Amino acid sequence: MGDTSPAGGTNVEGESPQVEATIETDEATITDDAELERTLGLSGGLAIGIGTMIGAGIFVFPGLAAGEAGPAAAASFAIGALVALLVALPTSELATAMPKSGGGYYYISRALGTLAGTVVGLSLWFGLVFATAFYLVGFGYYAVDTLAELGVAVGDGLVIPLALLFGAGFTVLNVTGTENAAKLQNGIVALLLSILVFFLGYGGLDAVGLIGEPSAPEQFAPFGTVSVLTTAALVFTSYLGFAQVATVAGEMKNPGRNLPLAMVGSVLVVGVLYVAAIFVATSAFGSEQLAGFGETAMVEVGRHYLGAAGAFAIVFGGLLATMSSANASVLSTSRAIYAVSKDALLPRRASHINLRYGTPHVALGMAGGPILVLVATGRVELLAEVASFLHLVMYGLICVALLVLRRNEPEWYDPDFRVPGYPVVPILGALTSFALIGFMQRASQLIGLAIMLATAGWYAYYARDVTLKGVLQ
Amino acid sequence: MTRVLVPLAILEGESVSSGLSTLLGPMDVTVLGYHVLPEQTPPDQARLQYEDRATAALDDLVAEFEAAGGHADHRLVFTHDREQTVDRVAAETAADAYAIPGVTGPVDRLLVTVTGDVAVDRICSFVAELVGDREIGVTLFLATDDEAGGRESIEAAGERLSEHGIDVETELAVDEPPFEALIDAATDHDAIVMGERAPSLRSLIFGEEAERVASESVGPVLVVREDPAGASERGDRPSDTT
Repeated sequence: MGDTSPAGGTNVEGESPQVEATIETDEATITDDAELERTLGLSGGLAIGIGTMIGAGIFVFPGLAAGEAGPAAAASFAIGALVALLVALPTSELATAMPKSGGGYYYISRALGTLAGTVVGLSLWFGLVFATAFYLVGFGYYAVDTLAELGVAVGDGLVIPLALLFGAGFTVLNVTGTENAAKLQNGIVALLLSILVFFLGYGGLDAVGLIGEPSAPEQFAPFGTVSVLTTAALVFTSYLGFAQVATVAGEMKNPGRNLPLAMVGSVLVVGVLYVAAIFVATSAFGSEQLAGFGETAMVEVGRHYLGAAGAFAIVFGGLLATMSSANASVLSTSRAIYAVSKDALLPRRASHINLRYGTPHVALGMAGGPILVLVATGRVELLAEVASFLHLVMYGLICVALLVLRRNEPEWYDPDFRVPGYPVVPILGALTSFALIGFMQRASQLIGLAIMLATAGWYAYYARDVTLKGVLQ
Repeated sequence: MTRVLVPLAILEGESVSSGLSTLLGPMDVTVLGYHVLPEQTPPDQARLQYEDRATAALDDLVAEFEAAGGHADHRLVFTHDREQTVDRVAAETAADAYAIPGVTGPVDRLLVTVTGDVAVDRICSFVAELVGDREIGVTLFLATDDEAGGRESIEAAGERLSEHGIDVETELAVDEPPFEALIDAATDHDAIVMGERAPSLRSLIFGEEAERVASESVGPVLVVREDPAGASERGDRPSDTT
């Protein structure tokens, strides 16, 4: 697929995009002089998708969401799942046509050009930074709750310090650690899924059996329809993980089959779990009470159904889940930075690998540093919404990119998976992604917009002369 | 022609001793330079930074094999999983054996173990081609608990090699722990030839047998792969799931 228009132009420092003709097989990417082994299987891809998403949706949001939308928070999660699915399908098609690291950034820069590419690529970096900070603050709450369950009451004052400590720890571990944590991640996700399926199954049966008991039936949507939509915008952070699967597309075995399965599959799995979790949670407590429990409301839900053991299982699960979310997105962030720096949109040294550990320490630092700053603010909802804002812009543009590519299919465009229901699905995907942004808090919208403007400014200053449209590597 | 794959951690300075490149002289050699990356690092990112250095090192190695009279080429792979890479390239190049480099001077005597899953015939014809008309002696080794049957098959194999004019001795280890007996027998030899083993519980716990033999014996180990045709029948081909 090498015969495409040549990559052109240079950035301010005189670096130009590193583009080479490659041959993609199911097992490796073959360049002129070297081969890049594809080592991630379907279970690895699902573990990245589910592992990134599950921490937020199950363990952090239920209390907050129930407080804002009542039992209808389940509908908010369902709306989120629908939007995610509408985007996951077009993303799957693009990912099988261009199975490269960089994910959404890559497709948009190739279909829509350098300006859109720079804005999305850098916004993805910041979006992941916001998301990681959000997971880490969630982790902090669970760490404090764990201590409380163990009889050490330290109070919420320690949430941020603990989150900072672990955020720094993850960054350092990722720079220095060369142990293969992927297998551990698979195990953690499998363990989490077992805990959740057992707990939600038990709680679900209990909740259904309790119908008619004195617990006063609550109105489904006490705060109206709009609150359901604003809550959907808030909790959409629970669905960001599938796009992180796309950031490792270059390392996925048999990408034509595994990428769509991992992306769509992980959205379906977590979507069902989220809706079930909200149902179980709001059956156990009134939504007002749930809201009062805050970020770790699920712990009280666990206690309600299964006593101390239930509370402990959820606390433990929450620790693991928020940790794996944070760790997976630190890795995605570093890959996102690499993808833009390879294309000369950031200085080349951003993707430098250090000799001692073989890890991209500069990119990991560019992920870890801003994450810690954001963790220090401790603003859970704001962090979540800005993360969603920046991702949703990318999601909308991914759908647009698909429409553009399909309109005049270039010769190299040959996806293994074609989105069903074209063009309705990508059009709906774009519209719903952009619409969801409209239901966010004003502050989140302004911050998101400011970041996008800043990235556009960076383009004008740094990479104005770089050409990426239609360039394949 | 028979092809031997020589996988080397090229950027960690792994290399071949002169004894091995001379030993492999009559074979087609593919030097597989690989670099294993932690999962934090996309293989492509490492390629941009290290490709030139690795290619230069591989060119030198290929030149060394050609100087020893062989035909050699090279492949360079950046990977997260060494084993998967070696299996894939071995299958793609249809390599009959792969080498674990080790350290040795000139090879005078080979230890050839026929204990294991790969057919004795296949190992013998590989050895016959490897030795050719050179002055390299061969000790055939078999660990078994069936003394009579074992002696019969090892004698038959010995005769086949003698027909090629090779100086053959045989050694039978009856009712001894096979691994330890092999390592004991290896002391007077410069290199070992063995058949590859299907993964087992034992290899899962202690590591692949060939790797353990190599680290215990220090010298190079040539592992004869299962005949690809026979292997596919038995479902032994590397699978591409997970």
